Amino acid sequence: MTEPTLNMPPMKGRVAFIFDEVNFDVDQIVGVKNIKITDVAELAQVAMQAYDPDFAKSVRPGDLLVGADNFGYGHPHYPPMKAMRHLGVTGVIAESFSPGYWRGEVSMGFPQVSCPGILGFVQRWDEIEVDWAAGVVRNHTQGTEIPFEPLPQADAEMIEAGGLVPFLKRQAAQQREQKDHAHVPGI
Amino acid sequence: MGYTITEKILARAAGLPAVRAGQDIKAKPDFVLAYDFPGYTDVYFKTMKEDFGIERVAEPERFGIFIDHMVPTATAKEEELHINTRNWCAENDVPLFERHGIGHQVAAEVGYATPGAFVVHFDGHVSQLGTFGTLAIGLRRNVMEAFVSDTVSIRVPDTVRVNLRGSLRPGVMARDVFHHLVRRLGPSSCRFQVLELGGPSVAAMSTEGLQTITGLAMFTGALTAIVNPDPVRLDYALPRARKKLEPVSSDPDAQYSAVHDIDLSDLEPIVVVPPTPADTRDLTEFLGLEINAGYLGSCASGRLEDLRAAAKVLEGRRVKTGVSLHIVPTSQELMAAAAREGLVSTLVEAGAFVSSPSCDYCFGRIATMTAGQRAVSTGTLNVRGRMGSPDSEIYLCNAAVVAASAIEGRIADPRPYL
Repeated sequence: MTEPTLNMPPMKGRVAFIFDEVNFDVDQIVGVKNIKITDVAELAQVAMQAYDPDFAKSVRPGDLLVGADNFGYGHPHYPPMKAMRHLGVTGVIAESFSPGYWRGEVSMGFPQVSCPGILGFVQRWDEIEVDWAAGVVRNHTQGTEIPFEPLPQADAEMIEAGGLVPFLKRQAAQQREQKDHAHVPGI
Repeated sequence: MGYTITEKILARAAGLPAVRAGQDIKAKPDFVLAYDFPGYTDVYFKTMKEDFGIERVAEPERFGIFIDHMVPTATAKEEELHINTRNWCAENDVPLFERHGIGHQVAAEVGYATPGAFVVHFDGHVSQLGTFGTLAIGLRRNVMEAFVSDTVSIRVPDTVRVNLRGSLRPGVMARDVFHHLVRRLGPSSCRFQVLELGGPSVAAMSTEGLQTITGLAMFTGALTAIVNPDPVRLDYALPRARKKLEPVSSDPDAQYSAVHDIDLSDLEPIVVVPPTPADTRDLTEFLGLEINAGYLGSCASGRLEDLRAAAKVLEGRRVKTGVSLHIVPTSQELMAAAAREGLVSTLVEAGAFVSSPSCDYCFGRIATMTAGQRAVSTGTLNVRGRMGSPDSEIYLCNAAVVAASAIEGRIADPRPYL
């Protein structure tokens, strides 16, 4: 099994919210009635109203979200996490993820970290760090660390590239390069 | 140690002698499928040209496009999307299946469910091609990789094996088998894995029932579901197959991450309570709950055995005044067969609104519910707002329960009607 290391700087921030509900349906973040809003600023305004009306005021760029098992179950749409990114959230760490949600957000280049044990490891507003190279989440508030699960190769590359289209462009360029090399006479 | 059917299919698609679960590979899909939907196909077509300079796909016979959503169109904008799709298919010489029915069913009818083939789509319900020993995975946006390159980057999944034994009692259907799997195994039991169905009862199960079960696999967290193809499935799939491939099956000593046994004779009808496909309960807990609407259709249900079950319940009876019952056969082929059997007249005479195949009922684009309304449905999903207002409710159940509930205007047990 390959265990690729992401060539990315660590993500450092606070735990902006802990979704402790298993099988959490992310559409609830903005509410289903708002799911068709396309303006991201408007989405950010309605986000988290059901959970913490002051969320938009308290969240800071770099902050992270924490989730429970099977995070993203249901029929996930993209607007909730678009709103979160607009508010400065840089990634989600969960006990485990629902595959549909995972694929969707990784394809947006939005870091997702599968980390069994994360719920018992952090409290809201702890200062934490995801160290991609070391494969651990560090809790600076509590002075602890916990390993996370290595990402599949393509997912790691997609996050590193910043999403699906940049990933595919990079891959196409690499394939062209290999082809060109193969055609150089004498090599 | 042997290999699973999934490992065998992916090894061939990756051009490797063998692959194992956990391995990251680039595999060439035999078929790339999609239905047209804003933000999906229109984006792929545009991205191919503008970002990757691809004017035409190299192997059009590997593709298949379906027009099954927004059928019929309600706005000019929707029709423009379909025109764009028709044009792209014509320019690329790619087969287009418009108004043949719901694409995942039509895909089987027109031979994309080739046993042993590897198929990708953006929509996960394509998993139902697994009935025929086809490995069909919904990749969401990532299916774009298959539009701009020959291969897709995936990790070979582990497999959870479920052995079915015994036989279903009257009034219990394939829907109940699937919802029971969610209950028994849990909604995350097969996360990132393949759900493989086997055991002594699979051979006796209807192809339609297996399409129902495999088509809903995503609600166990599975990437897809698959059945080792048996003579019944091969008789259907091989004459239609679009590609000559050797069907493959799991070896007897294949390695599974988990093995579960389900006795079908123990099962009871289930209702899945809103707002999550994880909340599976016994029908008996919810008998008497008032309903406003019933929907029998979707890529999961709406085939002949579902229509027959509903017709048996509704024959000589009437849908309660004030209840709207929509019955939408899954494909034109199935609708014609239902008409030949006399099922359509039975359903219409009972007061059902029988419509030509379309995906639109399942996601509330038509037959839209308002706040406070409640439906019984064989659609795929019961999340908030799926069939209209976020304050309406969807109780998922089998086709016979939908029919019985439409007669009584409340959630009802179909068994007294059978």
